[in-house]
Amino acid sequence: MTGSVLLQLLISSLSVGSIYAIVALALVIPFKASGILNFGQGEIVTVGAYTALVLVGFGVSYWLVLPLTVLVGWLAGMAIERSLIRPIMAAPEFTIVIATFAIGLILKSAIRLYWQDNPFALETPLNTEPLHFAGVVLNPLYLWVVFCTLVLIAFLAYFFKHNRLGKSMRAVSQSHDASRLMGIGVERVLMISWGMSAAIGALGGILLAPIVGINPEMGHLVLKALVAAVIGGFSSLPGAFVGGILLGLVETYSGAFFGSTLKNIIPFVLLVIFLLIRPYGLFGKPPVVRI
Amino acid sequence: MTRSATKTVGFLFTGVALMVAPFILGAYHSYLLGLAFINIILALGLNLLTGNSGQISLCHSSFMAIGSYTFMLLSNLFGWPAPLAVVAAVVLSSLGGFMVGYPARRLSGIYLALATLAFLALTQVIIEEFPDLTGGIRGLKLEPMNWMGLPFETKYLIYFSLLASTAFSIYIALQIMDNRLGRAFDAIRTSPQAAQALGIPVASIKLTAFVISAAYAGLAGAMLSMVVGFIDPVEFGVSAALRHITFIVIGGMGSVAGSIAGAVALTGLPEALRPVKEYSDLVYAALLLLSLLFMPNGLVGLVTIFRQGK
Repeated sequence: MTGSVLLQLLISSLSVGSIYAIVALALVIPFKASGILNFGQGEIVTVGAYTALVLVGFGVSYWLVLPLTVLVGWLAGMAIERSLIRPIMAAPEFTIVIATFAIGLILKSAIRLYWQDNPFALETPLNTEPLHFAGVVLNPLYLWVVFCTLVLIAFLAYFFKHNRLGKSMRAVSQSHDASRLMGIGVERVLMISWGMSAAIGALGGILLAPIVGINPEMGHLVLKALVAAVIGGFSSLPGAFVGGILLGLVETYSGAFFGSTLKNIIPFVLLVIFLLIRPYGLFGKPPVVRI
Repeated sequence: MTRSATKTVGFLFTGVALMVAPFILGAYHSYLLGLAFINIILALGLNLLTGNSGQISLCHSSFMAIGSYTFMLLSNLFGWPAPLAVVAAVVLSSLGGFMVGYPARRLSGIYLALATLAFLALTQVIIEEFPDLTGGIRGLKLEPMNWMGLPFETKYLIYFSLLASTAFSIYIALQIMDNRLGRAFDAIRTSPQAAQALGIPVASIKLTAFVISAAYAGLAGAMLSMVVGFIDPVEFGVSAALRHITFIVIGGMGSVAGSIAGAVALTGLPEALRPVKEYSDLVYAALLLLSLLFMPNGLVGLVTIFRQGK
């Protein structure tokens, strides 16, 4: 196995891992703020991809489609939080888990009703010839995914560190009551955090669409993102990124060396191992349970 | 008539109706009835785990898959007598329940949901990756079964073994809930810490709940192979798992009557939705969400409210 093959694998695992990382971030942000894990996040990704499809169908340029899709995702996330999640915030965990699943299923079956199971391709200005560089084939689409992920990470790092809203989100994630006493509108922050998460999910959708093609089962990706989030630790944003990249690496290299069976099995084995040994992941903190 | 007399008459009537049903109903309706029985068995098991002991499981369709494939492979490849193959299916799926339940003893809430989701995904991958044994995504077809030369038509044999299994499952579920074990389930659901303080071995009770529940799902799976005569691996995915949860949410959590009501109502639903078949997934999910939001105690809860109102 030569160095260039290893490098090639490294690049493809980075791009796969970036997609996992994006969706994992979309899972972690509302989880930190509201304590709710959105099992329907995968379908937000699907919604993003189909939104992009529709917009491109209207002849809108890709560079305009990108922000518009993210905006649609944002609005959808806020609407979901306001109408469906807020009424059951205080419900038992079972109710919340199943409700988010049901929201995902509703989105998926609504999409399937309209577009059926036909796969669609998303034309982008980046569907060009691969670049060759030092014996490695670089697909511009993959590079674009990695680039967008890095920009997103930089934005989030700045947002949570220096922006007022970002700081209030961090406060809310620590204690709803204390934040309320400090004059933070907790409900508003929660709604925005869901909007952000859905916006990031929609971004994941538009990035994923040209790579795997648009179909109603795209949301299956959320399983991998959940694995990434568990590896990184549910309460940690850098963790979600690292978890995504790690999962991409493990998957790609195990697939290359040991075949597809192991590649498909290994994420879930990893998930179980982490849940058993370190359920709070590499970067998370063990939760304190008050009786 | 007093309430208990009404009840007795109702049970007798239902019993007689179910005994003569296969001789009266056409092929399609007895098939639907069969599916209703299977869903009842599954819902009973899931309700013991989720409604009573308070644990989330998103992998009951996998336990069902274990039961289905075990039954079909033993029957097709080795010609095992059907009842024996059913027993083997139940044993193997309980073993599956043990495999999930043992590590899951320390998990709860979303972490348990994730672990069971991982098991579901693993089962799906294994079904797809070993097509020589499982038929892969194309599925498996049931060869004629070995009924040890019983002198009856196969469809009656299937129907009455299904009826007997369902009655037995209901009986066992009622017994468990009336017993020490059922009370321990309730205690664990309400507060694991308090249960622990009362001397209830929380971990092993949780594990017991998983094993019993998986045994129910395995029985339902074996019966599904028998009734449908075909295994379609799509039937064991995430949306199937959610459909099973819909049974108990709509019927009523932690109640045998709720499991039965939910399973029967939702088996009949596709029939009612036949003109708009493509909407069925959407309707299922919408019903699930609406009942979570507005009917947290399910159909059984509605009956209770209705009675108290009188």
